[in-house]
Amino acid sequence: MPGIDESLLEAMRLPGARGAAVVDWISGLALGAVGEAPGGDPEATAAETAELARLATESGVLAPADAGLGKEPPVQDLILTNTDSYHLLRFVTTTFDSTVFLHLWLDRTDGNLALARIRLAEMADRLVLG
Amino acid sequence: MITQILTSRTDEPASAQLATLAERSASGALSTEAGIVYLAAGHVVHVESAHAPALGDLLTHSGALAPDGWWEAIDRAGRRCRVGRQLVDSGHLAAGALELCHLGALFDAAYFVLAHDGPALRFRPGVAHWLGAVRSVPVDTVLRESRRRRELLHRIWPEPAVDRAPLARIEDAGSADLPARRSRILAQVDGVRTAAQIATTLACRTFHTLVELRRLAAAGMVAPADPVAPAAGPADSVAPAAPSAPAASVVPGAPPAPGAPVMSPAPAAGSPVPVPVFPDEPETALLRRLLHALEAL
Repeated sequence: MPGIDESLLEAMRLPGARGAAVVDWISGLALGAVGEAPGGDPEATAAETAELARLATESGVLAPADAGLGKEPPVQDLILTNTDSYHLLRFVTTTFDSTVFLHLWLDRTDGNLALARIRLAEMADRLVLG
Repeated sequence: MITQILTSRTDEPASAQLATLAERSASGALSTEAGIVYLAAGHVVHVESAHAPALGDLLTHSGALAPDGWWEAIDRAGRRCRVGRQLVDSGHLAAGALELCHLGALFDAAYFVLAHDGPALRFRPGVAHWLGAVRSVPVDTVLRESRRRRELLHRIWPEPAVDRAPLARIEDAGSADLPARRSRILAQVDGVRTAAQIATTLACRTFHTLVELRRLAAAGMVAPADPVAPAAGPADSVAPAAPSAPAASVVPGAPPAPGAPVMSPAPAAGSPVPVPVFPDEPETALLRRLLHALEAL
């Protein structure tokens, strides 16, 4: 049964992984981080990715109107590509109040975005379901 | 009891005491008027505050864990201070779920313990929390994060009265197109309850509720219910001494210690309609404040 650290280390075994973190998108706090962070500051990275995640989840256009009690995050993934890397954010669904996502930073030449997306989704589920 | 009181009441703020205790790699419980910080080898292992829902409430009121499973773990492992480990080993909760919920509760309570940064009342060396080790956090990180959260709230809406006063909706303000989370919280604003009570009702962390409430206040949709009442006046009042504090600090059903369960009102989590304030809430709040005061002696 993986905890936060085990999940992050598993994410780091994906080809091209540079860094991984678990981030709360309302407070902007990194609950765990391994590997490198863009710019070298994991806390700043967490705060900035959290802001992006919050905008997406609160967007009336990008996030479908929520039904029921809203335990499911209205967005599943955010994918951002740039010239040398990919950023992949996977929202974690929990039954209790938690507002967290997994953030994986992938090298563009070595990383496989499609594979990473599938694996990260599995890791997010295992993190909270065991 | 051989507990030696290391620090008696001083004017030194809790944050400075925590930094000193971290340098000494101390283990024990530091009490302030707003809550208790538990340290192990200079790291924060748990924080409790009457202003933030307890871990057990977050887990059981949300349905993540059956109340029976929670109490069973406390019965079996409370005395050994291994309740967290017991929850995972018995298969009630995934390790990651426990860590996420525990860290959520820890930083939430820490924000309120450090928000006004009053003097630390007592440090009791060697006192451990019955939850046991889940995931410890450096004192530095906790202090920095609490400061950052204070600034974050201030940037959203620089009026801290929203945090403690009973809140009311402002008529005529539309509520269309709100994000789901914010409209769920707005639906609980009834002119009576405070942010902490709304958080408890929804089984949400109080800080995360405050973020939404300050955004609603900034949008002109929510305001303190009675801004002229001195009790609900702006933030210069020292938190727990304010007359409105007993109602604001309610966390029904939070276990003060293993083997001493408090009778809790029926969980209201998941109920979409506003529910009235539980009639026994002031007593629960009073008991928790008494408990904190006694532990601080």
